[in-house]
Amino acid sequence: MNVIYPLAVPKGRRLCCEVCDAPAERVCGACTVTYYCGVVHQRADWGSIHEKICQLLIPLRTSMPFYNSEEERQHGLQQLQQRQKHLIELCYTVAQKYIFEGKHEDAVPAALHSLRFRMNVHGLSSVELVPAYLLLAEASLENLPNPEIKSTSSALQAISCIVGGFFTAEPPGLGRVVQAEEYLSQAQWTVLKSTECSYAIHSLLHRNLGLLYMAKENYEEARYHLANDIYFASCAFGTEHIRASGGYFHLANIFNGLKKLDLADTLYTKVSEIWNKYLNDHYQVLSQARIQQIDLLGKRFETDTGLDEAQEAEAIQLLTSILNIRESTSNKAPQKTIFVLKILFMLYFLMMNSSKAKEYALRALHLAKKQKLSVQEQNTIQDLLNLISVEEAQPIT
Amino acid sequence: MEPTRKQGILSSPHQENDTVHINKEQKAFFTQQSKMTTLPPLPMTRPKLTALARQKLPCSPRTKPRSELIKEKDDIDHYLEVNFKGLSKEEVAAYRNSYTKNVCVEMLRDGYHKSFTEFFALTEKWDALREAARVRSLSWAQRPLEEQPDKLDHFYYYLTRAETAERKEYFEEVYNNLYALACYFNNSEDKWVRNHFYERCFKIAQVIKIDGGKKEAEAHGHMGLLFEEDGQLLEAAEHYEAFHQLTQGRIWKDETGRVLNLLACESLLRTYRLLSDKMLENKEYKQAIRILIKACEIAKEGNDKKMEGEASYYLGLAHLAAGEYETALAVLNTYGKISADLDDDLSLGRAYEATAKVLQSQGQMAEAVKYLKKVVKIAKNNFQNLDFVRASTMLGDIYNEKGHYSKASEYFQQAFNTTADIMNISLKDETKVHYGIAKAHQMMLTVNSCIESADLTSLDYLLSWKESRSDITPDPTSGESRRSTMESLYHTSEFSEEESSGFSGNQKK
Repeated sequence: MNVIYPLAVPKGRRLCCEVCDAPAERVCGACTVTYYCGVVHQRADWGSIHEKICQLLIPLRTSMPFYNSEEERQHGLQQLQQRQKHLIELCYTVAQKYIFEGKHEDAVPAALHSLRFRMNVHGLSSVELVPAYLLLAEASLENLPNPEIKSTSSALQAISCIVGGFFTAEPPGLGRVVQAEEYLSQAQWTVLKSTECSYAIHSLLHRNLGLLYMAKENYEEARYHLANDIYFASCAFGTEHIRASGGYFHLANIFNGLKKLDLADTLYTKVSEIWNKYLNDHYQVLSQARIQQIDLLGKRFETDTGLDEAQEAEAIQLLTSILNIRESTSNKAPQKTIFVLKILFMLYFLMMNSSKAKEYALRALHLAKKQKLSVQEQNTIQDLLNLISVEEAQPIT
Repeated sequence: MEPTRKQGILSSPHQENDTVHINKEQKAFFTQQSKMTTLPPLPMTRPKLTALARQKLPCSPRTKPRSELIKEKDDIDHYLEVNFKGLSKEEVAAYRNSYTKNVCVEMLRDGYHKSFTEFFALTEKWDALREAARVRSLSWAQRPLEEQPDKLDHFYYYLTRAETAERKEYFEEVYNNLYALACYFNNSEDKWVRNHFYERCFKIAQVIKIDGGKKEAEAHGHMGLLFEEDGQLLEAAEHYEAFHQLTQGRIWKDETGRVLNLLACESLLRTYRLLSDKMLENKEYKQAIRILIKACEIAKEGNDKKMEGEASYYLGLAHLAAGEYETALAVLNTYGKISADLDDDLSLGRAYEATAKVLQSQGQMAEAVKYLKKVVKIAKNNFQNLDFVRASTMLGDIYNEKGHYSKASEYFQQAFNTTADIMNISLKDETKVHYGIAKAHQMMLTVNSCIESADLTSLDYLLSWKESRSDITPDPTSGESRRSTMESLYHTSEFSEEESSGFSGNQKK
C-alpha cells in the first residue's frame, strides 16, 4: 500500500488503476506491479481476487528474463501462456463462487481479471470471452444497488475499446441494467460472429438476455430469449436435464407475474419434476449402496449430489422459491407443496446438511397431517425422517 | 418534401402551384409504384430517424453518457421494428435459424413446454431413424423433417391446442387434437409417428368418462390396429376384445358413419383368424378351434350374417385340419345355409368346395363329386375362373384316383382351358401337368390293350402312332382323344405353342 513515484517505475509500464483505469496513485506493496487510483479500489480488489493472485501476477507483468537460446525463449513463452490460462480459470471460478454466495460486488474484479486474461490469450473476438462477459452481466443483473461496482466496471470499457466513460452519475438500478446489457451485447456479438459455439454457451447467453429483459420489464423479449435458452439447453443436454430447468423457472416467473397462473403452475411443476428425477436417481443409488454394504463394514457413505457449487446454489434458489409460491397457494394443492418439500429434503440430505433436511421433512409431515392426506403419504415422509435420525445418531468420523 | 413546399409558399404563388403539381404527380407515381411492387411502402417520416441518428454522430457537439446512448438505441430499435417490416428480431431469427428451432421457440414462448418436450423427442427420433436408415441403405427416400414445414406446422398447431385443452382439463379436446395428428401421419413412412399418437390417445382416453367410454373404445381399436400391424396378435386381440366389449349394445358411429360395434367385430374376427392360422401352422388345433368358436359367437352377437358365415367357414376349415370331419361338415353346412339365405353364390361355392374337401378326406367320393359339380356350375355361372379351375382340378383328381381317366382328362382339360384366360403361369403349368398325366393314363389303357392283344392290326396301330407321335391315335375305348399327349410331356414348349388352336378345336367339338 505504497504511494507511487512515477519516475521510479520501469519504462513502458502503464500507470493505470487496476479496477477503473484511472491514473494510478498507489501501488500494491506485495507485487509492485499492480496500481490503483485510491485506497477504495485497492481494498475492493484485494478483497475480491488480488489476495489470491498477487504473487502470480509478477511474472506476467514484468519483462521476461533474458534467455540465451531460442529454445529457452520458446519455453518461457509457453510457461507464460500456461500461467495466464491458469489465472483465467482461477479468476473465473472465484468470481462464480462470489456470485453464488450473493456477493456480487466482490465478483466483479475477479470476473474482470478473467476477462482481461482471456483477451490476452485468445484475442478480442474469441468465443472464450463469452463466459466472462456472461459472468459480469450476471453480477450486474442482481439488484443490489452499490455505486462502487459501477465505477469498477468502467475498467472493462477501457479494455474492450469502447469509447466513452461510465463515470457519470446515474440511478443505480438502471445503470446496472444498462451495464449488463452492454456486456450481453458484447457476448451476443461475439457468439454471432463465431461459427463454432457450443449449445451450452448459447443457452447461457440467452438465459442472461432473458434475465436482462425481465429486469427491463420487457416480457415479450424475455420470453423469446428464455425460450431460446430452453431450446439450446435441450439440444445440449436433453429436455429433462437440470441445466434446462433454470429456463423453465424464469419463464414460469414471467407467467406468474403476468397472472397466467395455470401456465406458471405447469412450468413450476416441470421444474420440480426435473429436479425430483435427478435427485431421486442419486438418492436411490445411495440407498442401494447403503443396503448392500452397511452390514459388512457399518461405515458411512459419502453422500454426493453430483452437482458443482453453482448448480447446488441454483437448485436451492429454484426450489425454495417454488416452495414459497406453492405455500402461498397451498390450500388448493397440498400435494404439490409436499412434493417440493420432499425434493428439498433430498437435496439437503445429499448435501449432507441433515438439520435442514430434517426441517423440511418435518414440515412435510406436518402439512400432510394437517391436510389429512393418505396414510401412505404420511408413512413415506415418516420413513425419510427416520433415515435422518439414523444418520444423526451415527457419529461423524 | 415539406421544406420545398414551404419555399414555394415563400417565393411566389405561381411557383407554388407548380410544386404542388409536381407533388401530386410524385404522389401518384409513388402510389402506383407501391401497388406494382410487393415491397413495403417507403415511410414518409424518415427525417425523424435521421435526426435521431444525427444526434449520435461523433461530431455532434453534445456529449452524452453512454447509458443514455444505449437507451436511445432502444428507441431506434423500436422505431425500426415498428416502421420497417422485416427488420424485427423475430423475423431475423426466423431467417437465420432452422424452422424446427423456430417452432420450438414459438412453443416455449407461450409456455407450451409439454408440446415442446414431445416435439423435441419426436424430431430427435426422426433424425435417429433417418440416420439408421442412411447407414442401412444408400438409396433412401425419406426427406428430413426440416424440409417438410407443413408437417412441423401440424405438430405445432395440434400439440399446442392439445396442451391448452389439457390445462383446462378438456380431455376430449385433447383426444381430438392428438387423434387429428395421428390421422395426419397415417401414411406408410410416418407410421411410427402415428403409433406414438395412438398411444397418447389411448392414455388420454382412459381419463375421459363423460362420453360413456366411446373414446376409450376407439382408442382400444387404434391400439389393436397398431399391434396387429406390428404382428403382436395376442396384444391386438386383447385390445380388440376391450373395443368390442365397450361398444357392445351401443349405436356409436365413427366419422365415416360405420357402426363401431360392427367394426370391432370385424377387427376381432380378423385377428382371431390370423391367430388361429398361426396356431394351425404350429399344429395347435385345439386352441385354434377354441378361438374360432369364440369368433363364431362374437359374429353371432354382431348380428351380421355374412360375418357369421365367414367365421363358421374358418371354423370348418380348422376342424378339417384337426381331422374332426363330422363337426366340420356340420359347421360348413351352416355356412352353406347362411350363404344360400344371403343369395351369395360365391360363399356358397366356397362352402361346397370346403364340404367336398371334407368328404374327400372322409373317402366319400361320390358325395364329394356331387358337391364339386355344384361348385363347378356356380363358378361357371359367376365367371369365377379360379374357383372353376380349382374345382375342376379336384374333380379330375378324384376321377383319376378312381381310374376314370377319360373323365379325369376331360375335367383337367376344362381346367387347363380356363387357365389360359387367367394370367397365372404357375397355375397354368400345374394344370398342364395334371392334364398331361391324365392323358397319359388314358392312353396307357389303349397301348396296353394293343400290346396285350398282340395281333397285326394292333401292331399297325402302335407303329403308326410311334411314327407320327403327334398324329391321331385311334382309340377304340374312348375315341375322344385326337392327339397324342405323350409327346406333350416331352416337348412341352412345342405343345404350348400349338395348344390354343388345338384345344379350341376340341372344345368346339
